[in-house]
Amino acid sequence: MPSLHELQTHLLEAVLDGEPDRALPFIFDNGLAPERRLQVYADNARANFAGSLRCTFPVIRRLVGEEYFQQCAARFQRRHPSRCGDLQHAGRQFPQFLAELHAQDEYRYLADIARLEQLCEECLLGADHGPLDLQKLARVDAAAYDDICFRLHPAARVFSSAYPCLRIREVNFSDQTDPEIVDLQSAADRLLLIRRRERLEFHRLSSDEHAFLQALYLGGRFAAAVDAGNAGNGEFDAGAALRRFVAAQAIVDFH
Amino acid sequence: MPAGAGIGLRAQHHFDVLSASAVSWLEAHAENYFADGGPQVDALLKIRALHPLSLHGVGLSLGSTDPLDTRHLRNLRRTVERFEPALLSEHLSWSSVGGRFANDLLPLPYTEEALRHISERVAQVQDYLGRQILLENVSSYLEFACSRMAEWEFVAGVAEQSGCGILLDLNNVYVAAQNHGFDPHRYLNALPPATVQEFHLAGHARIDCNGRPLLIDTHGAPVCAAVWELYRTALLRFGELPTLIEWDTDIPALDVLLEEAEKANSIRADVNAVAA
Repeated sequence: MPSLHELQTHLLEAVLDGEPDRALPFIFDNGLAPERRLQVYADNARANFAGSLRCTFPVIRRLVGEEYFQQCAARFQRRHPSRCGDLQHAGRQFPQFLAELHAQDEYRYLADIARLEQLCEECLLGADHGPLDLQKLARVDAAAYDDICFRLHPAARVFSSAYPCLRIREVNFSDQTDPEIVDLQSAADRLLLIRRRERLEFHRLSSDEHAFLQALYLGGRFAAAVDAGNAGNGEFDAGAALRRFVAAQAIVDFH
Repeated sequence: MPAGAGIGLRAQHHFDVLSASAVSWLEAHAENYFADGGPQVDALLKIRALHPLSLHGVGLSLGSTDPLDTRHLRNLRRTVERFEPALLSEHLSWSSVGGRFANDLLPLPYTEEALRHISERVAQVQDYLGRQILLENVSSYLEFACSRMAEWEFVAGVAEQSGCGILLDLNNVYVAAQNHGFDPHRYLNALPPATVQEFHLAGHARIDCNGRPLLIDTHGAPVCAAVWELYRTALLRFGELPTLIEWDTDIPALDVLLEEAEKANSIRADVNAVAA
């Protein structure tokens, strides 16, 4: 008799890897081939995984079509199988997977679209948070400002791409039959994504603002974030940027 | 929980449920509300304020030989604390080993080792959560040659050894009975009445495998006549228990689910009238 661990190991090889040989002896025939019985579970596992990706990446699915999307999902599942019982995290590496899959062809932009969709989902699942406590900030000694680490809203993310990803998302998010053709070279995207109440908001950023916010998002000190903002043409207005992002409730805390 | 039949809550119905007075109670998949915040969580908080709630986990992989996923358990506890469900349930199954998840409800072999293993894990989870959980019997499409007891003996054994309750899914009993060739009434008659605390009802599909039918638990169709009959039998044996209509694929309008719930209520009333 196999141990429980041995049985589970070989059954999962059949379900996830398409290698049923070592599981077959464990399964009672009873009028139907064990391979066919195992196939039901393999089909379920593949469908559940692809369904989760379809929820997170609806624009990718729309752009590539259902058949190719399912092929991608199956290949991705083999390389990056689910690591937890909550499938909401299953697609975390899907943008990188697409980037590698299409590194050298005209579909390079798909990885950036997937990254935008991934960030949208993170915003939709992020915690709620109130606005920045301005009185608390007023109590900080001006000499200590450089060392402050501002914190972005838990449901805010920063995004950039050489492609007009937001426009592509907008025209492909619904099931309209004849979506507008978007020129991939028309504009680069630099965005702040933030969930307010139940809706996602997209704020366009200058390159300086993007560098500043990205540095804050990564946990950098205020002085380092200002340096990042100034790394372009040196005309970054840190005070104006701070006021804008506090008002937008993108910056909500500091330490 | 109210005596009226409840329905499985799906995101498509969040808005409709808020204004539907005919809803008796709702059951939500716990993992769908693990998020730190956001619209899904907000919606369930609003719904919870109006309707009794049960949480139903699908991802704990209780029968796995991997260690229990402590992060998943922490998320489950947070979700239970946030929504305070009247009932909390999971599945008598496994879905992972070696850190990889199939995210499906895989059957266990009915052996002493598996019985001891899952009973210990269920007891650990109950200790961690500080409350009893219900375990649901799953549909199955295969049987293991190494099994040494019937499924109903295994289910009753887990309840006895772990102290958990049983969520008796009558569609799953029927699907397994048809797929493996046993009498579903034998299953019901073997379960101690005190351990069964909730019923599930759902639809299934029938596929043809080289001339042999195989039933698949799709949760994508109305409850079939044979399962309604099994429900009648279950009410007579286990009494009036919270009953849930599940529908997870090709999800219809809320009214269709409420009609199925009304059918369950009607059968319950019939059984009560006969018993009186």
